[in-house]
Amino acid sequence: MSNTAIDIVDILQTKFKDTLVQVQPAQLGKATVLANSSTHRDVLKVLLEADERTAVSAITGIDLITTIGVFYHIRTAKGGIITIKTEVPKEGPRINTISDLIPGAAFHEMEVADLLGVVFVGNPSSGRLVLPDNWPDDVFPLRKDAKLDNLKMKDAPSGETEPSGETNTVKIIVGPQHPALLEPEKFALKVEGEIVKGVEPRIGYVHRGVEKAAESRTYLQDVYLVERICGICNTCHASCFVETVEKILKTEVPPRAKYIRTILLELNRLHSHLLTLGHAGLEIGYETLFQYFWRDREPIMDITEIITGNRVISSSLTVGGVRSDINETDIPKIKTMLANLRKRLPFYKRIYADEPSLKMRMRNVGTLKRADALALCIVGPTARGSGVDIDVRKDEPYEAYGEIPFKVITRDSGDTWARMNVRMDEVEESINIIEYALDHLPTGPFRVRAPRVVPAGEAVNRVEAPRGELFYYVKSNGTAYPERVKVRTPTFANIPAFLKTAIGGNIADVPANFVSLDPCFSCTDR
Amino acid sequence: MGMANAVLWSRLKSPWVLHFNSGACNGCDIEVVALLTPKYDVERFGIKLEPSPRHADVLLVTGSVTQQCAERLKRIYDQMPEPKFVVAIGACACAGGVFRGNYNVLNGVDQVIPVNAYIPGCPPKPEAIIDGVVKLLNSLKPEKTAREGKKK
Repeated sequence: MSNTAIDIVDILQTKFKDTLVQVQPAQLGKATVLANSSTHRDVLKVLLEADERTAVSAITGIDLITTIGVFYHIRTAKGGIITIKTEVPKEGPRINTISDLIPGAAFHEMEVADLLGVVFVGNPSSGRLVLPDNWPDDVFPLRKDAKLDNLKMKDAPSGETEPSGETNTVKIIVGPQHPALLEPEKFALKVEGEIVKGVEPRIGYVHRGVEKAAESRTYLQDVYLVERICGICNTCHASCFVETVEKILKTEVPPRAKYIRTILLELNRLHSHLLTLGHAGLEIGYETLFQYFWRDREPIMDITEIITGNRVISSSLTVGGVRSDINETDIPKIKTMLANLRKRLPFYKRIYADEPSLKMRMRNVGTLKRADALALCIVGPTARGSGVDIDVRKDEPYEAYGEIPFKVITRDSGDTWARMNVRMDEVEESINIIEYALDHLPTGPFRVRAPRVVPAGEAVNRVEAPRGELFYYVKSNGTAYPERVKVRTPTFANIPAFLKTAIGGNIADVPANFVSLDPCFSCTDR
Repeated sequence: MGMANAVLWSRLKSPWVLHFNSGACNGCDIEVVALLTPKYDVERFGIKLEPSPRHADVLLVTGSVTQQCAERLKRIYDQMPEPKFVVAIGACACAGGVFRGNYNVLNGVDQVIPVNAYIPGCPPKPEAIIDGVVKLLNSLKPEKTAREGKKK
């Protein structure tokens, strides 16, 4: 509810008073702007001029039966989301790109092109993004009339034998099965000597079609489905989805549930950050650090198990609250475990701040300038490492974050070292948040009965996942099944940062640079 | 005879495993990595994570096998030397799990390569994965009669 948001809506309303563009305050996010395929760029220009931190959060493609909707969800500085709605005809859907105005949109446009067949005129990238290489050209899975049974796949192309065509350039293929990658993705690095000259990503190895599957499951079943988009930040996915549904239902969650959710979200962040901080050690050849971090991460898994009964996928959130309460007798045990972890932190902080060999591998590696981070719409610790202080927990507080004091950690140098140190400091903040939440746990019910039928409507929601802003758009048509569930995950937004920073760097620095984005491809591909 | 016994002994005592994610949510994968870290530490059973398929005895597969991964999974299996064993970890790898029936998944590892052991769970706990791998190794032992057991 900050003033900047209201100002932007005012600016939009005065600017587009006499045109066909309609501005509706407080619809999808802070406002919905109804534009068409030629005026959407003008609206975006106004938003970009109003504030340097305007960025594209997501682009949703949606089959509206007669037309295809392309919704641009624009993140404004401190004010939340403004959605620009456009529609294109179903036959020959074409719309002008916005990637020349804001380069970070290119990836989002590619996804809509891939899954719905919308042509973005002027988008520099082409080819498949998440669908497999041998996917038939005329089938777009997110269209309602797509026939996906007994698909006739094309012959698989052999993608790896193509010559690079340039002299002095060698193509090094990393993935899909590679020791440095826990997940199957492919990156073709073009190198000249030791210097990386270009990166061609091929994601989509983990594309399971979750967005389509969500349309054929009920809202409660979808909670379990979206949790399994990513096993690491599963609570964030569940939380973002149930909050979006609660917005459509207009259900108010009881305070105790909000605090329990906050605790679970922060446990998620803790285990994810400790995982990455350790993994970064592995990538720079510092395996002891990896083993240490993973040893100290185990108590976090145990706490999650104490609260929810599950180690990894908590399956604890549901529409209207949480499924299990925190047992009062467990709270001292949890606090002791957190205190033990806190005792270890000065040691780790010293390593990340001062250890000479670690600094040599991480200082001035993969430097992402603040201006680039803004232009590429980067989120989370990656953006905060470049001095952009965006954090959904502060910008648009959800759950109990509005009532809990905590700091947003930023660093200015923008290199791998800065990004890892942001995470290192966030570990301590997370412990503070959990301890505060446990001390101030409100009494009362931990869930309310949500209405069984979800009325027609749509909502957007954001959650700060360990890797950055997680975005959900849910549209309900009044039936038992959602009409569209759009998920934009933080790594999807952060891949352009890797493509940007790897170029010009040393090939030996690629793993350290890569892991400092904390990439999660099961999120990216969905 | 002595040579064969030595080979069997070394195979049972130090299986080298290769981990491949064929489209998993990372839930099973972080549990596989947790196996190698101090709390569970499977190296005490001689189990070692091996990055190359050509050196691996056991292939640990997680995930529901996406269309894009299927061909690669097959290729990794083909690159492994005989005798080789495949363990499907997690509900997805066993039968597609929560993603069963989606347009881009093949509903389980056994649709692409033969599987020797299935470890269900979403995700299975590290203890369950250790149990599964140890059961697989025990099944390789020749069955001892009671008398042979005594002789030794």
